[in-house]
Amino acid sequence: MSQQQVLEAQSLTVQRGGRPVLHDVSFAVGEGEVFALLGGNGAGKSTTLLTFLGLIEPHQGRAMAFGQDVQGNEDAIRRKAAYLPETASLYAHLNAWENVSYFLELARSPRPRDELSQAFDEVGLPADARDRRLESYSKGMRQKVAIALALLRSVPLLLLDEPTSGLDPVAIDEFNALITALAERGSTVMMVTHDVYGACQVARRVGLLRRGELVGTFEAPPEGMIDADELHRAFARSHAS
Amino acid sequence: MTALVRELRFALSERAVQLIVLIAFAASTAAVIAGIEAVNDQQALIDRLVLATDEERAVAVESASDPGDMAYYAFHLTFAPPSALAFSALGTRDTLPWKHRLRMLALEGQLYESDVGNPELSLSGRLDFAFVVAVLLPLLLIFLLHDGEAGERRAARHDLLRVTATEGRNLFTVRAIARSLLLLAAILIPFLVGAVIQGVGLPGIGVVLGAAALSLVFWLAVCLLTVRRVDAGPTCAISLLGIWLVLAVLLPAGGKLAARNVVEVPQGGELLLTQREAVNDAWDLPKPATMDPFIERHPRWAPYSTVSRPFEWKWYFAFQQVGDQAVEKISTELREGIKQRDRLMGMLSFLSPPLLTERLMTGAAQTDVAAFQRYEDCVRAFHGGLRSYYYPLLFEERPFDDSAKRELPKFSPCAQDSGR
Amino acid sequence: MNPVIRVAAEEWRYWRRSRLGLAASLVIVSVLLASALATWRQVAIERNQRAELQTTAENIFYDQPARHPHRMVHYGHYVFRTPPPLALIDPGVDEYTGAAVFLEGHRQNSATFSPAYSGPHGGSFVSLSPATVYQVLVPLMLIALGFSALARERERGSDLLLLAAPMSARGLWLGKTLALAAAAALVLLPLLAAVLSATGFALDGIALVLGYGLYLLGWVCLTTSVSARSRSSSNALAVLLSVWLAVCVVLPRIAASGAEVLLPVPSKIEADLAVAKAMRELGDGHNAADPAFEQLRANLLVQHGVDRVEDLPVNIRGVVAEAAEAEQKQVMDGFSEAYAQQEQAQAEAVRWSSFLSPLLAIRGFSTSLAGTDLAHRHRFLVEAEQARYQFVQDLNRIHASDLTYTDDIRRSSDAGAEQRTRVSPDNWRSLAKFRLTPDSLADRLSRGMPFFLLLAVFLALATGLGITARPAGVR
Repeated sequence: MSQQQVLEAQSLTVQRGGRPVLHDVSFAVGEGEVFALLGGNGAGKSTTLLTFLGLIEPHQGRAMAFGQDVQGNEDAIRRKAAYLPETASLYAHLNAWENVSYFLELARSPRPRDELSQAFDEVGLPADARDRRLESYSKGMRQKVAIALALLRSVPLLLLDEPTSGLDPVAIDEFNALITALAERGSTVMMVTHDVYGACQVARRVGLLRRGELVGTFEAPPEGMIDADELHRAFARSHAS
Repeated sequence: MTALVRELRFALSERAVQLIVLIAFAASTAAVIAGIEAVNDQQALIDRLVLATDEERAVAVESASDPGDMAYYAFHLTFAPPSALAFSALGTRDTLPWKHRLRMLALEGQLYESDVGNPELSLSGRLDFAFVVAVLLPLLLIFLLHDGEAGERRAARHDLLRVTATEGRNLFTVRAIARSLLLLAAILIPFLVGAVIQGVGLPGIGVVLGAAALSLVFWLAVCLLTVRRVDAGPTCAISLLGIWLVLAVLLPAGGKLAARNVVEVPQGGELLLTQREAVNDAWDLPKPATMDPFIERHPRWAPYSTVSRPFEWKWYFAFQQVGDQAVEKISTELREGIKQRDRLMGMLSFLSPPLLTERLMTGAAQTDVAAFQRYEDCVRAFHGGLRSYYYPLLFEERPFDDSAKRELPKFSPCAQDSGR
Repeated sequence: MNPVIRVAAEEWRYWRRSRLGLAASLVIVSVLLASALATWRQVAIERNQRAELQTTAENIFYDQPARHPHRMVHYGHYVFRTPPPLALIDPGVDEYTGAAVFLEGHRQNSATFSPAYSGPHGGSFVSLSPATVYQVLVPLMLIALGFSALARERERGSDLLLLAAPMSARGLWLGKTLALAAAAALVLLPLLAAVLSATGFALDGIALVLGYGLYLLGWVCLTTSVSARSRSSSNALAVLLSVWLAVCVVLPRIAASGAEVLLPVPSKIEADLAVAKAMRELGDGHNAADPAFEQLRANLLVQHGVDRVEDLPVNIRGVVAEAAEAEQKQVMDGFSEAYAQQEQAQAEAVRWSSFLSPLLAIRGFSTSLAGTDLAHRHRFLVEAEQARYQFVQDLNRIHASDLTYTDDIRRSSDAGAEQRTRVSPDNWRSLAKFRLTPDSLADRLSRGMPFFLLLAVFLALATGLGITARPAGVR
């Protein structure tokens, strides 16, 4: 590959409570690429993400980001990565502005209000909702705030855990467009999902994860998308065996 | 620093924090007001009593025809005024005496008269600032901090916070510090206002602030260590409460029980009975039986020690003194025993930070056992002064005129470091 | 098996498997036993010492040689306050109440030497008496054990499974409450044993245990009710601990401070000064010639038809002393009764706070039944005063009847007269033995009854909170 590798899993093995969660998983994600890791419940998708964030220590193998081992360089890597957790629960007692500002302050990268406003526009958060506390939000609206936060971090790497869960079909389309645009601007995106069709919509490459093992990789043709039906069959096959 | 400012602002936005800080502020305010009221009441009472005793004594002095009469009928008020800091730690002032109405009779019979507060109120204890700092502050801190990390974990925010915050997991430490500072401020502000009203000097304020900070730092450390080790909020709360229970309740109470058992003190009743025997037997004994032990202690009056009439004042007051001498040993043992028990509690307090805080604060406010014993010493000294005044008049039979009457010692509280 | 009992049994199994609740309970129970034993021993020693001192004081008085009776009035006597048997369970105000009173003519002395005088000080509770442990610590144990009883099921969604069993929400609450109540009953056993060994099988002891049972049951129901109404276990715990903190730690102090500030009691010294002033106006009972007793003297002369006091068949000095003492008593009683009333008013003010704090209710009930409340102190002072007045007036009457006036006035100068004014030590025997008996059962029960009713209200409210909780499975 000619591109510089942003993420690289080298024979990752992770155990939790003596049970292997990931076993000898290897893959790489290049700069500007959108990579999706697809798998069922308990396949080890979230574990992979958390390993790249340095929240889980691999037993064997290495998780590399930006050419560095994540172990021992967590801080440097976290500064360059935005993470969108599976259930994005921001603070219910704060409104959208306050939430995003607070988290940006945590990352020590505050942004002026008009940039916040612009990000909310991009994710389609209604203007009248932004001053309301998140406790009155629907799950999808909360997800939009969390995505806006990830965008506002303006970091080269996005790690997304089930990013479209809770979003309605229109919002999913908007989200996919947003991710594609980001990738074109050079951001690297790795998302984990169990949604076969969602993955095909946005990812250029999909890794299929089954019980902690990478059982296949699908790449989109240069000017097209990954064939969702083929992927679906592979997914079903891998789970049938 | 910016992280701390950020977390302070964030903490103030949380409803639970607002509520607890508000409760702390209310409790501290109530404690300070109650303390000031109690101290003002004590001071007003002293003023009334001084006035009334002076009035009563003036009548006795005026009408006295000889020094013996005056010594018998003139009462004096001894007292320990509340220090400027007393409002912050009422201490033992509701259970140990700090005022007496005394005359020249045997001191030991008078010293143990205790004019103290309502025992049913003492059973509950008082709401004072020392209680807020020593007992309430740790509990409120536990409420504030026990769920700091576990709550974020339950809300599935823990990972996001850790990877987003530049300080990583230390974020939770900064948060805990921010919350503690808010709590400390809420507790200290009413105290500072009270201290200014009561005219407490900077050193006094410094000791209290130090004690409060010490208490806070200790409990903050305990909370942080526990929170790191225990994942579930409720488990953490119960563990912390258990630690509080041991340190704030069990150790002091167990220590009191132990101190009573380790250090024996003479029975008060035994002292009273012995002293009465010594004083009353004198009536039936030959005069030398009284005068000899008296002269042994006060050889200065030997030339004047012959008692020729059945009743003479000098003999009467000599047997009062001999009565005191008879119980000197028991009385010293009692005093030493009390001191020893207090010393044990002092040693124990190094194991129990709440007790240490309380002792630091009552010490600074001069409402502890040591201050009570200093007051007793002060009373003894004053009573000794009365004897030095009367004995020349009684024994040498110096002229007893108005100028001699004017020399009668007047009680003034012993100079204590007033904390002003 | 009855489904309610099934739920309770399931809860017990859960406890056996979770170390936390069990550890908390074990710690509290062992503290409870240790403290109970230690305090028991302490109070038992105090009781013996005071009883011994009382006997000693009496023997000393009886052994006095022949003397002038008024000498014995000033020689005086000591009485000691012996705590009632149930003080072993609840020492109440004993710690802060003087244990000895010196009885003498013309004065009402205060009680001196409370255990607190020489005792160590410090800490947030007076002592860990069995009463304190049951009032303050056992509720905490019940909370630790039961806070998650229903909230836990709700968090896990297992309540739905239970409700589908089918099991009514009320039945579920009842089962969990039963489980916790069994724990409370178990903890109550040592108290029952202690009470039985303190008083034997007596009504007051049994009533005391019943009161504590009611109180603990109130906490049991409160715990399960809050658990049933909370979204999560941690919410339930936060609410329960806040209630415990307010009820057991903060409110009693607020009540005491409030009572002190709002209803100040004057100082004993103030009363002493006022008594001294009033007595100066009454006249000196030592001086039969004091103009204050002119009327008495004149009446006496007329009554016996003589012209001179020397001719009276009684010793005028004794008569005057008796009359003076009677008048002085009236003045002194006025002050001491007012003082006692004001102290009582403060205590009442604290008790009114029982409406807010079940701890104050059980404390009121417990000290009333044990006879260690403020009334105990006041009755000691009243009985001591009766004993004082009785022996002083007995001696004054002997002074009036057994001594002649002529001898009495010449005794300082005439050795023969002095001998004749001494009366036989047999007379000292008239001093009655002083034994402070516990208040009558009826008194104690009637003092405790309002508190018992308050505890019942507490239990009813806590139960109401539980049975009206929305079915746990409905979200």
